[in-house]
Formats: sequence, C-alpha cells, structure tokens
Amino acid sequence: MDKPTRCRGMRDMLPDEMRRFRRVEEAFRVACLGWGYEEIRTPVLEYLHLFTTAGTLSPQMLGRVYSFLDWDGWSGERVVLRPDSTIPTTRLYADSLDGGDVAKMFYVQNVFRFAEGDESREDWQCGVELIGDSQPQGDIELVLLGREVLTHLGLQVEVRLSHTGLVRAVLARAGLDASEQLALYDRILDGDDLALRELQERLPEVGGSLEMLLSMEGEGVAYLGNLRSSFGGSIPELERSLDELAAVASALEALGCRCLISAAMVRNFEYYTGPAFQFEVAGRRVGGGGRYDALLSLVAGRQVPASGFALEAGALAGLLSVEASERRIATVAVKAADGEALALAFRLASTLRAEGLTVQVAGTAPDGGPSVEVAGEGFVLSGVGGKARRLASVEAVAEALREIGCD
Amino acid sequence: MIKLALPAGDLRTPVSNVLESAGLRVEGYGEGSRTYILRVGRHEGVIARVFREKDIPIQIALGNYDLGVCGLAWIEELRARFPQHPVVLLRDMGVGRSGLYVASAADGERDVSSLGGRRGLRIASEYPNLAEAFALAARLPAYRVQAVWGAAEAYPPEDADLAVITAADEAAVSTHGLIPLHRLLDGSAWLIANAGSLARKDLSPLLDLLARGTSRGDMPHLRLPPPLPMGAQKQPVAPLRAETLRMALPDGHQQRHVVAALRDAGLLPRRGYDESQCLRRPESPIEGLEIKVIRPHDMPQLVATGEMDLAVTGRDCVNEHLSRFPSSPIEEVVDLQRAQFNLAAVVSEEVAASDLSGALAHWRAQGRQVIRVASEFPGIADAYARSRHLGRYQVIPIAGASEGFVPEDAELLIEGTETGKTLVENRLKPIELLFRSTTCLVAGKGREFKGRRREVFDHVLSALRSSTKAA
Repeated sequence: MDKPTRCRGMRDMLPDEMRRFRRVEEAFRVACLGWGYEEIRTPVLEYLHLFTTAGTLSPQMLGRVYSFLDWDGWSGERVVLRPDSTIPTTRLYADSLDGGDVAKMFYVQNVFRFAEGDESREDWQCGVELIGDSQPQGDIELVLLGREVLTHLGLQVEVRLSHTGLVRAVLARAGLDASEQLALYDRILDGDDLALRELQERLPEVGGSLEMLLSMEGEGVAYLGNLRSSFGGSIPELERSLDELAAVASALEALGCRCLISAAMVRNFEYYTGPAFQFEVAGRRVGGGGRYDALLSLVAGRQVPASGFALEAGALAGLLSVEASERRIATVAVKAADGEALALAFRLASTLRAEGLTVQVAGTAPDGGPSVEVAGEGFVLSGVGGKARRLASVEAVAEALREIGCD
Repeated sequence: MIKLALPAGDLRTPVSNVLESAGLRVEGYGEGSRTYILRVGRHEGVIARVFREKDIPIQIALGNYDLGVCGLAWIEELRARFPQHPVVLLRDMGVGRSGLYVASAADGERDVSSLGGRRGLRIASEYPNLAEAFALAARLPAYRVQAVWGAAEAYPPEDADLAVITAADEAAVSTHGLIPLHRLLDGSAWLIANAGSLARKDLSPLLDLLARGTSRGDMPHLRLPPPLPMGAQKQPVAPLRAETLRMALPDGHQQRHVVAALRDAGLLPRRGYDESQCLRRPESPIEGLEIKVIRPHDMPQLVATGEMDLAVTGRDCVNEHLSRFPSSPIEEVVDLQRAQFNLAAVVSEEVAASDLSGALAHWRAQGRQVIRVASEFPGIADAYARSRHLGRYQVIPIAGASEGFVPEDAELLIEGTETGKTLVENRLKPIELLFRSTTCLVAGKGREFKGRRREVFDHVLSALRSSTKAA
C-alpha cells in the first residue's frame, strides 16, 4: 500500500514548529489586546462573488483561488477557500458591526492560494483591521503595532512605506486602463527593464526620473521631498499621495521608527487606496498592509475608511530559534493491566494533574524519565536522580515532581 | 505504441478527410463506426480511439493519449482552469472553423460594456471555465455560471442572461435569437500532443504525415475583455418569471420515447417536437404551458433553481444531480417507464471477478494503486467509489463514447446498459447494478402553484400518470 502523502503545497507543523508558531501568535495577541483590538475569526468558506468585484482581489490573485460548487450549490453559486482575510473581515463588519464608530479587530487564521510546485498554498496570517474614522493616525498606529510584535519576538525589523496613489497616478498619466496598469506594474516589480522603458516612452515629459520613482528607495521625509521636487510639476496628481505619506513618515520618524520609502512595493494592490507599508526581517518580507478606504463601499455599499496589515506567522516562526520543550512529563507507571490497577493509576494521574503537574499513564516512563508507582499505602518515585524514593502522600509526590519541572 | 485520439460528432467527417489526404487511413472512422478502438492503416504501432471532442484535451493532458485532434475551444476550456496543463498545440487542421461568443437575448444588453456593474448575471455555457474567465476579466459582480451539457443558446432570456456559445459567425449567433456581445475566440480543429510524449516518445510516424507541410497556422488566443466600468451599481437582475407553467423536454436519444409518452397523454406539442423535428421552443398544446427543449442532464438544476417548474428527464440525470447536491429541492413525480436501462459498474472481461471486491483484489494483485473510474455521471461515480471504499481512486468525467476506456484508460466504468450487447461487443461485463433508470417527470419539492399554473400542473401530472398506468 502507498505511504500516505501530503497534498502538494500543504505542510504539517511538528511540535517544535508549533511551539514557535504559538510564540508568534502569543506576541501578536498580547500586542493587539494592548492596543485595544478584539479577536475575531471568519469562516474558511466564503462566496466567491465577495472577491470577484472590481477593486477587491486582483485578477492575478483570482486566478489562484480554490473555488468550487458546495453540496448545495445547484444554482451555480461558487464558494471559495478564503484566499484573503481583509475582504472577509470587511464582510463581517458589514454583516455584524456596521454602525459603530471604530472597529478594531485582529485574527490569526489561514488563507489558501494556489502556488507553483512545492511552494506553500496555505499561509497563516496574524492580521489586524482598523475600520472607521481613524485616519491618518490609524496608519501610524498599525505600523507601530506591527513593529512592536516583531521587536518583542527579538527580530530586527525594517519598515518600508509606500502609497498606491503614486504608481496609479503615473500609470493613469500614461493613458493605461485598469488591466494594463496592473500588467505593466507587475512587469516593473518583476524587474522587467523593458516595462520601465515603455512607460518612459509614454511619458516623455517625465523621462528618466521615472526610474527614481519606480526602482529606487529613499530615506523617509527627505526622500519624499526629493520626489515632490522631481515630479510635482510634471505629474501634479502625485501631490496628495505625497502629502499623506509625509504625514505618516514624519510622525514615525519622530517616534524613532526609521522608514524607507519605496513607491513601487505593493503587489496585488487593487484594494489599497492610500499609504501602504511592509515589514522586513533580514531582507525578507514578513508582513504588510495599508489603507483600503474603498473596499467597504464595494462590500457594504457605504464609504468607511479602513486600514490593516497582516504578518506572515509561518515565515516569522521560521525565523525564531528552535527551543527544546522545557516541560517534563511525569509517568504514572501501570504494573498490571487489570481494571483495578488501571483505575488506581488514572486516579493518581488525575490527582497530580489537579496539582498542576503534567502527568501521563504508561507502562514505563520514556527514557528513564520521572515515574510514580502505587506501592501499598504509599508511592515510589523513580527516574529523578539517584535511587527510587518512597513517598507517603500524593502531596509529597507532587512536591517532588514540581521540583524537577513537571509543572 | 502511439495513441491517437480522434473526435466523434460533427468533426468526424472533415477530420477523416484531412487524415486521408495526409495519407493516413483510420479504418472505420469516417463511416462512424461504433468500434471505438480503430486500426490506423498499415501503421502497426499506432492505435486510434474515438472520443467526444471535449474529452480529448483531458485525455492528452492525462497522458493517456499522445496525439489528438479537437476544437480549440475545448483546449482553451481546459487551459482556463488548468493553465499548466501539458498540452501542446501543433497544427491548425483547417477544418471545423467557428468562433466562441458571449451573447445576450435579443431584448437584453446590446454591447459588452453595458454589463459593467450588473449584479447577479446568469451565464449558461458548455464552456464553464471560459465563461468564468470572461466574468472574472470583466469583473462582473456576483455572477453565476451555469455549466450545461448543451443547448446554451436556448437559455436566454428566461433561464440565463448570457450564453457563451460556439457559432460560425455573428450572423449564426443571431439565428438563435441572440445578440453577439463579445467574440472570445476564433477556433478550428487543432492537432495537439501531450508534452511528455513529445519529449520522450518517437511520434514521427504520425507527425511526418500530420504536422508537416502546410503552414502551422496563426496561434489564436483568448480575447478577454478589460475590466468593465462599474457605472452606477445596478440592482440584481430579476429573472423573468412567466405567468405560465414552464416545462423542459429532452433532446437527443430520449426524445422519441418522450414524444411517445406525450402523445399517449395528449400533451404532444402542436409543432416543433416529434419524431422528425426538434425546435428549442415548440408550440405548446395547452394554454398556460410553456415548453423548452434542452439537454436532459441540465434539467434538474433548472428545476431546483425554479427556472423550470417541470422537466421530463432521465432518472440517471436526477440521481447525478442529487449525488452532487444531496439537498437539492427536486423530486420525481411521475415514472414514465420509458427508455429504461440499468446503470451499472462495468469492468473488462479480463477481470477474473464477478463482483467489486473480487475486481479490487484483481487490480491490487496487478499492483494498481489508483482505481480510475470513468463515467458520464461523475457525481454518481464519486458517490459509488466513496460508498464502496475504493481507497485511492480517480474519477474521470467523460462526455460519452465510454465503452473503449476500459481497460487501457480506466479500470471501472459507471455506465448505462440497455441490452448488454454493446458491452459484449467491447469485451466488457457488469459487476454491480447501481439502479434502473427510466424517463421521469420531475418537479420542485414542496413548490406551490396557484391559479392557472396550478390547473396546468395538475393536468400535466394527471395526464401523464393516467397514460402511464394505461400503458
């Protein structure tokens, strides 16, 4: 018989990986709760139409979703394995929370997107969504919150800022329609020099300085000033985006958060409308987000400003050091397999667990670990250095196990 | 051995002529032989098999066949869902030219840009992946694609807002009473190959004849629309609901049986549906009853969604629908006891077993890890494989001509058999009866009608029940 194998693109998480994953999750939860966010979870299945409207997921992303007809989908209405968490969160807001001033939500959940070969098709996101009238301080809050999580995990984080309005203004100025904008933008991000040259030919009045905007990065407010000087005259539509970005960058700089400005940074940017940001650790992108003021109007039919970000929990867990489990498990040894002896062993294990200890029932302790045996009126504790000790009470056993870290 | 997949249906004669003119005679192919595995002239190392056209790209992609000929639209239909499929386009065969159009009803939208922002559009097509690609590219909000077995042109306006159909040209689209909105593809029959076979196998005995000589042909491509402007957010389209009762009748091989049943019940359409005629909208024999002729496979869905009130279809189609959607609100209301046949699990005569457990043991002894189940009824086949604990299995949905699949391309068929003669001819045998299929009248479960619609509903049921009892 064939050995069972995992589906391609799916991964198991072993105990060590789970420990690191939980550390990420816990650091994220603690930080979010500290900033006044509340935890939510959205279902893994959503209607496909939630994601297909223009301005939600980009066509590139839509080409990678897992959609199918549900068991009651005779009408042809397709459902999809959640490919993104922001859009379902706006749906949740519209369904259940609309009407409040500001909704501050966070979640830890998985998303599913097709990827080539053995690349991961399931990713775990630690996400935050801030919906309501909270701009521009909301963008600053989100960058600081994300940075706090990463710093707490002991990671050196680099923050990159962008604004989708910058690239949109340039591409619109070049006379490209929405789909052409996306295609050309993707080529630029993929480092296709020809794409940049094509754009330069379409915008002779801007010329060579386009490379500065689309291929370069610069430091905070100073670089933004240079962009304003270089493009303000030829593409006046950039002004508003530069102003919004400058407000965020200057506040973050004043708070000691160094920011790199990278105009062409955000992929699949269809629903982002304002400042966007990205977190990098050791040159690797570990999260990002931005403002999506138009999304709520598409989902709920009402204009509500919003922004959010997600950290890639799996990638972050991979960056943390491996830690052996410090927990020691005591074993209540069963000498006979009759009902009375088994009941006695499970009763003792239960009592010890009630004392806050980690206890299992087995024939022998693994690799000579701590082991307790019922012996007449008392107990025999072995596997704790030296000879076995006879103890008179459950309390004494618990105390001895606590001393060696079974709690 | 080189394996060649050839199309049945309309392409059979023109493709046969092209093969002959290239010096390749496939015995029995042009004459429409039902012997599904054919010898290819004097070429000892070549076999050809006839498939429904839409199955050919799938068979090539699976690597079951090395070379094949089929219409470009079916290749693009597969590519739209599986962009990495290993099918290589080799040559335009220059026959079977047609276009793939998005069309609306004559009183519907007049150009594609007016679809922008329309919520809830229903798109009927035999090409659901291409219909989906169109809707996604156009960024239609909250659309529904209705995958149909055929006759998509008959769906607008009552049962769909748009249809994606093949037609020779725009004028041919108009003859269906539709307006062509967008041409997705210009197609014709192409010679295609499995990429792995091309890379590793000597296919030159056939390629020398078929892929050489004339020009390779321009590489046609799918023309998807740009995102359509949203405009003002338009309200969902309310499906047209007639004041009449709507009944679907089948085309194809069931038609003659249904004509007989309707004649006995005094319900035969006055014009357009008999032994010699099949109009999509025949003239109803009763005031208040509207009749449309579509594929029997597609009827349960239309009854479930309420687009049709009654449908005369096969129990096989009903069970297929219910296998995929167990809570679907449809029910059989009259068994017309016509066109009866058994749906059975069928294996090769070479399998030394008389039941499924014996057959499974046989295949496992041969080292087969995955049991391939081919069927026109993938929902029923899947339910059967699950309930009989086949272990690791693969359901291969096929569009027909299934007898030749076993044993080379599948271990098991879920197949309809009337007399068993075709099975014997193809060296097959049934090992388990799934159910006995028959023509039946289906209706929406628990659906209530009022006024004239109620009267017509009761009359149709009563007439069909009485005539069935009398027969």
